[in-house]
Amino acid sequence: MAEKNEKEILQDLTGEEYKYGFTTDIETELIEKGLSEEVVRLISEKKGEPEWMTERRLEAYRYWLTLEHPTWAHLDIPEIDFQDIIYYAAPKPKKQLGSMDEVDPELKRTFDKLGIPLEEQMALAGVAVDAVMDSVSVKTTFRETLKEKGIIFCSISEAIKEHPELVKKYLGSVVPYKDNFYAALNAAVFSDGSFCYIPKGVRCPMELSTYFRINAAGTGQFERTLIVADEGAYVSYLEGCTAPQRDENQLHAAVVEIVVERDAEVKYSTVQNWYPGDKEGKGGIYNFVTKRGLCRENGRLSWTQVETGSAITWKYPSCVLLGDNSVGEFYSVAMTNNFQQADTGTKMIHIGKNTRSRIVSKGISAGKSQNAYRGLVRVNPGAENARNYSQCDSLLIGDQCGAHTFPVVDCRNRTAILEHEATTSKISDDQLFYCNQRGLTTEDAVGLIVNGYAREVLAKLPMEFAVEAQKLLALQLEGSVG
Amino acid sequence: MELRELIREWPCVKEQWLVAGREERPQVALDPEHLSVELTAGAEAHLVLLYTAPRTSEVKIHLAEGAALTVNLLFTAEAFTSVVIDQDATSRLQLTSVELGSANAAYTVNLRGADAESCVNGVFLTGGEEHAELAIRTNHLSADCRSRSIARGVAGGKSVGRFEGMVYVAKDAQRTDAEQQNRNLLLSEKARIETMPQLEIYADDVKCSHGATVGQMDQEAVYYMRQRGLNEVEARRLQIAGFVGDLVMHCGEQECLCGAILELMEEKLRTI
Amino acid sequence: MLKVKNLHATVDGKEILRGINLEVKAGEVHAIMGPNGSGKSTLASVLAGNEKFTVTEGEVEFEGQNLLESSIEDRARMGLFLGFQYPVEIPGVTMANFMKIAVNEQRKFRGEKLLTAAEFLKLMREKAKVVELDTKLTSRAVNEGFSGGEKKKNEIFQMAMLDPKLAILDETDSGLDIDALRIVATGVTKLHTDKNATVVITHYQRLLDYIVPDYVHVLYKGRIIYTGDKSLALKLEKEGYDWLINDYKE
Repeated sequence: MAEKNEKEILQDLTGEEYKYGFTTDIETELIEKGLSEEVVRLISEKKGEPEWMTERRLEAYRYWLTLEHPTWAHLDIPEIDFQDIIYYAAPKPKKQLGSMDEVDPELKRTFDKLGIPLEEQMALAGVAVDAVMDSVSVKTTFRETLKEKGIIFCSISEAIKEHPELVKKYLGSVVPYKDNFYAALNAAVFSDGSFCYIPKGVRCPMELSTYFRINAAGTGQFERTLIVADEGAYVSYLEGCTAPQRDENQLHAAVVEIVVERDAEVKYSTVQNWYPGDKEGKGGIYNFVTKRGLCRENGRLSWTQVETGSAITWKYPSCVLLGDNSVGEFYSVAMTNNFQQADTGTKMIHIGKNTRSRIVSKGISAGKSQNAYRGLVRVNPGAENARNYSQCDSLLIGDQCGAHTFPVVDCRNRTAILEHEATTSKISDDQLFYCNQRGLTTEDAVGLIVNGYAREVLAKLPMEFAVEAQKLLALQLEGSVG
Repeated sequence: MELRELIREWPCVKEQWLVAGREERPQVALDPEHLSVELTAGAEAHLVLLYTAPRTSEVKIHLAEGAALTVNLLFTAEAFTSVVIDQDATSRLQLTSVELGSANAAYTVNLRGADAESCVNGVFLTGGEEHAELAIRTNHLSADCRSRSIARGVAGGKSVGRFEGMVYVAKDAQRTDAEQQNRNLLLSEKARIETMPQLEIYADDVKCSHGATVGQMDQEAVYYMRQRGLNEVEARRLQIAGFVGDLVMHCGEQECLCGAILELMEEKLRTI
Repeated sequence: MLKVKNLHATVDGKEILRGINLEVKAGEVHAIMGPNGSGKSTLASVLAGNEKFTVTEGEVEFEGQNLLESSIEDRARMGLFLGFQYPVEIPGVTMANFMKIAVNEQRKFRGEKLLTAAEFLKLMREKAKVVELDTKLTSRAVNEGFSGGEKKKNEIFQMAMLDPKLAILDETDSGLDIDALRIVATGVTKLHTDKNATVVITHYQRLLDYIVPDYVHVLYKGRIIYTGDKSLALKLEKEGYDWLINDYKE
């Protein structure tokens, strides 16, 4: 097969435009650019928060002032002017919504374009959605069904008002504001996000889902998600992200905290396709996220992520395996193209006895992108019989990209058994030839091979998500054959 | 034969060593502070570096086209050593580093010419409150080179063993074949192993793999050996010696040297 | 030589052996057959002292001594050899070094003079011939990178080196082609004398063409349910175990 031909296909594919690159014309309430104690107070006030919450925010803000922007990642981050960001943007009017009909039609259209099944289809799909557009949770559906089981699923702002005892107990318990630069920033200015509480022994009957979308230009999105699965509870939580196409970079610095109590299980799946910037590397989202879960005895936390978007992705969904026999899992597909950069991975901290963890990371780099896996597996002295298996594979498509692996294994208990394996490969000419010979186009063949490569991870996603993820991978890949 | 006796017969190098042609006998450098070694095109040599005193050391080695060098390093004291090796096309490097206790050894191999090949083997054995560090960085700066870095660590007592590996493949270093492997045994409750087997790759037509494990001894193997009449302690000792020994067993043409190093290792193992 | 009385053993609380009775005398060859999961390999492991299994009841006497009280290595030194179904790879430990220690440990135990390096090498070369083992393999690490056939030959080679009183060969014929099978089996036959005894555990009668058993036992659900002579193996090959098992149920 002629090389030129492949190159052409490659170009066609990379030429694919960002499908979700539309903005919504709805009136937005913005505050002035910049960050100060006044702005933090203003955000808290606008959200009608109680005094204790305002104080928490200020504490975090003051701590954040003492920090410097971290530089350790394998990322080239242009300097971010934190005074040039709008920290609060809410769609107007901001009134309590009683039913679907009350939702702004323009907003509904946006969600339709995003393909979010907010209306009747949702009933069929059995998905409860907490849609977050910019900073305020617009509509939470299926609340009633969940309420019957005692499940609380609402925006975090609502939770602060209505379930202060739970929020006080758990917020910041897994990711304290002192954790890192962006955790501190988020703790100070977080605008909204989702809160989910599954009571003791309850199995959440449906997949819970939140869609994040950044709309207003020049705003940062700082969601805060808190999920608590009480003893013996189970929940599967889906998070999907999109952002419209804009030239300037937008900052997304979210924090996700998960508490997995005794015998509970949480599955957290993410399909992230924020705007990645254009072919020249202009624009795109900076996705700097702190995600961490804490497992108590026999608890089980499973992170699955498919990362195809954002100009820069910087996140490490982690598990603190505190309780005996707890299990942590991390399945990830990170795909970068054009000028995208990703530095992602996980941390598995083994503290309890007989704790198990498993890491499967599949990196795919194309175009001029850089893709790094970074991970930590730590076994503390008391973690008898800890086990970890890590597998980190990289696939390179084209000779302009980079694939990197930075694992750290720190073992302080001799009964532990830890294994780390990694390979780096490219799609071989033999594989392509074989597929071509059987009548597949090179483009199809690459899509097929990449999907096969990522299958182990995609298989961990709930069905609807898996299909979407597969499409995203193909879309993102198009034109990368080299 | 004992190592000291063995090396007494060999010539010593200081500060600088220039090799043209083929050196039949190994040369020894004892606790060098600065050492620069140059092998001209096609030269062949064998270098033994012994670290018996706590000090810092800088070693620079250049292998011109087609040169071949075998290097053995042995640490019996807490030395801080940095060894940088530049390899031109078709040159060959075979390096073996053994740390018996606290030491800090950092190797950087720059593969600068096509078809250059490096093999770096490192072992550390620590007990008590010792702390050993081993870093192996291989930079593939030219296409068509091969590298292999293999590290094994055994930590007992309250000791800490740390491995930092990096395979860097530059943008045009196509058809690189790199392997990096690190395996460790933890022998006691308080010992600690830290390992960072890293890859940084900017070329797509490469074969790079790395693996790292931390574990205990293989109980099945201990059972097997006991079934053949070895007692448990002996079976364990043999297994550990085998675990690190096979990296040293063929560490050069000088079998007596490999043997002497192995003996020192076994001696050290008895104390862990 | 070996007397097993009402032997019961469990693994992870599950009972695998449920009252084994077996007597093996010097000069005899016994074959143990039976369907998968009947406990054949467990019996071999328990006799060798594998610590995964717990003996809950029964007695085992070997050469007049209580076998169950001895450590794994002492049983080996007393002359009990287990040929493993899956011989373990031991990286970095050479065959020569391993065997030298094993042979000398045994000699020490028996109060015999230790072998010098030269004597040992001579012995090794001699015994390697028994199973047509390439002497190059003895300079390699134990079982590492050996083919299936080489691993099994290596087991018989070690048996020749250690000259056991009782050899228990666990599925030594599995995974062998016909040539390797012949070599392994004739090796075992060559080593057989009227002073020692062999117990072969096998699935197939084909091994018994070479190693002719005096007794054939059928193990089922942790008990020996039938004992016959070598013709039993042929019958089992032709008719399977169903007739016996059905019989047993009734």
